[in-house]
Amino acid sequence: MKLKELRILSLVLCVLAIGLAMGVAAYAQAPAAAAPAAAAPPPAADAQLTAAAAKAPTTADLAKGDPGGTLTGTINDVPAADSTKGVTLPDVANQVGQNKIAANFIWTLVTGYLVMFMQAGFAMVESGLTRVKNANHTYMMNFFVYTVGLFSYWIIGFAIQQGGSAGNGNLGGLNSLSVEHTTTILGKTWGLFGGTGFFLSGHTYDVGVMVLFLFEMVFMDTALTIVTGACAERWKFLAFALSSSFMGALTYPLYANWAWGGGWLSQLGANNQLGHGYCDFAGSGVVHAVGGITALAVCLIVGPRIGKFNRDGSSNPIIGHDVSAVLIGCFILAFGWFGFNPGSTLGASAAGNLRIGTIAVDTMLAGCTGTFGALLYMWIKNGKVDYSMSGNGLLAGLVAITAPSGFVNTVGACIIGLVAGVLVCLSCAFFENVLKVDDPVGAISVHGTNGLWGVLSVGLFADGTSNYGGSWNGVAGSVTGLFYGDASQLVAQLVGISTLIGFVFTFSFLLNLAIEFFVGHRVSVETEIAGLDLPEMGQLGYPEFVLKPEPDVLLQAEKQYAVA
Amino acid sequence: MAANKSQGSYYTLFLAAATVLCAGIFFWSGGLGKLLFVVGLVGVAGSLFGMLSIKSLEGKSALKPSPLAMKLIGAAASALGWVITLFGMHLTPSVGGRLVLALVGIGVSLFGILVVLPAAFNKNAIWKS
Repeated sequence: MKLKELRILSLVLCVLAIGLAMGVAAYAQAPAAAAPAAAAPPPAADAQLTAAAAKAPTTADLAKGDPGGTLTGTINDVPAADSTKGVTLPDVANQVGQNKIAANFIWTLVTGYLVMFMQAGFAMVESGLTRVKNANHTYMMNFFVYTVGLFSYWIIGFAIQQGGSAGNGNLGGLNSLSVEHTTTILGKTWGLFGGTGFFLSGHTYDVGVMVLFLFEMVFMDTALTIVTGACAERWKFLAFALSSSFMGALTYPLYANWAWGGGWLSQLGANNQLGHGYCDFAGSGVVHAVGGITALAVCLIVGPRIGKFNRDGSSNPIIGHDVSAVLIGCFILAFGWFGFNPGSTLGASAAGNLRIGTIAVDTMLAGCTGTFGALLYMWIKNGKVDYSMSGNGLLAGLVAITAPSGFVNTVGACIIGLVAGVLVCLSCAFFENVLKVDDPVGAISVHGTNGLWGVLSVGLFADGTSNYGGSWNGVAGSVTGLFYGDASQLVAQLVGISTLIGFVFTFSFLLNLAIEFFVGHRVSVETEIAGLDLPEMGQLGYPEFVLKPEPDVLLQAEKQYAVA
Repeated sequence: MAANKSQGSYYTLFLAAATVLCAGIFFWSGGLGKLLFVVGLVGVAGSLFGMLSIKSLEGKSALKPSPLAMKLIGAAASALGWVITLFGMHLTPSVGGRLVLALVGIGVSLFGILVVLPAAFNKNAIWKS
């Protein structure tokens, strides 16, 4: 009996113990079990979705047409993951995310298309400012540079520039662009160049990366086409093609990585407490100054055109052949700039991107005051309105506002543009009369000088009101210039300028000096005198035109060179 | 001579070789990558030396030789200015000090670009003769 009682007692104790354990476990699990219930959407949300679905227009309603647009774009258009359950809150959340990225993709692509169209503007401006005997050659350089640049950028340039730029939420994260080669100096890590994205292959075969590639590619091509204008009328086509290949593959992407791809210039704020690091919103420095400075390097090597300078150093004007091409080209460029600057937000939705309106207006105003600056300066100085300098004034204002457009107010934009308009006139005169550099279209002054001015003006005029997701270059707060209280931002901009003239110029100069050794930049005297159209292109730009003889001063110079 | 078939051929070789070279960098971690890199490099060098071999056919251009040493000094001065600016960032933490050193660096670079290099190229400029 005792044994039986013991067994019964043990059994009861076991049951009690199991019950106790289950009770404790149930007690412990109770909050966890309650948590999902608490996290689940309130029944009201699903009820509201169900109600909205019930009120949504039916197929029969839609079949009658929707002239007022009130029936189109309802809950019917939100895809449900499980059609038996209908549209749920997660479905709505996913659609919101998709819409944000879609809006940003469309914005970035369309603005990229606008920038691509600027190539047509550059072709018209540059060709219009050269003589008719070189029209075909100048147009062809502008045409071919698009192809050369695009190919170079696809095989390596994009990887160097953006290969380590993961983290852009506007375009879905771009997480496959994850390799930035760095170096460590004094305990700080500095980005040097990217390492993913060659041929847009591997993990970079990604929808967001493709959008970024298109947008960045057309920027790069803008920089390349600046050089063709400065060296027009005497640049050998082979040398141009080779020089542009290297620029699209190496020179431009390297500096662009430092400024935009997570490289060391953008880290000056985080690493060295210099404001928000080097800030170049849409590329006064990255695109225009790189192009203008490279143009200066090549221009020095290729030398002035025959007849441009007299023995005493004075210069002769060599007039372009087509005013309409120049001014229409300027308008095309101004139109394309609405892609250049507002598009540089890389999105229209979220992260402070609604500032695109301000950026567009800043762009317009700077172009306006740039035109005023140049036109009035030349009018007052010479008594006549100069069409080429007026066009260059418009472009100078646009170039100068490119870097600060995302950070300044409209008054700042007007001042920046006005200064640029006057500066381009002074700079053109300086390069031609003092340095004896022959730049047929004024590209060095428009893009180089005013590109540098644009970079500097960020450090002066940034008003501290922009807020692109709360930080810029990894530094919290808004970009603020000297006039609004942050002198350190000006220093960051000066470091960028020093890099442009110290590194980019030297690199471009040595690269093109090597091309001079292997290829030779300049065409022969015979080719130059005949015009480059027939010897280099095999066809005149305007075959049915009767070419007017050159002015006496140029004819004499050409005869002299031909005899020599 | 102007543009001709040889120029077109050598430039095509340059493009093809540069593509192979970049493919070599892309596949660098594999054995094939290094092979592609070397093949591409040889191709690029070959295209450049091919261009060099036909350079003399171009004929005389309106340029006279200018002193190479002076050009290199100008380029060196330009690069030195950049180094001064970079060094200045680490030399002092003060904003004023960095500002001054950045301006000094820019000044040195501009001296190389706007004074030394134009002087080098204009020394024997053909328009002077």
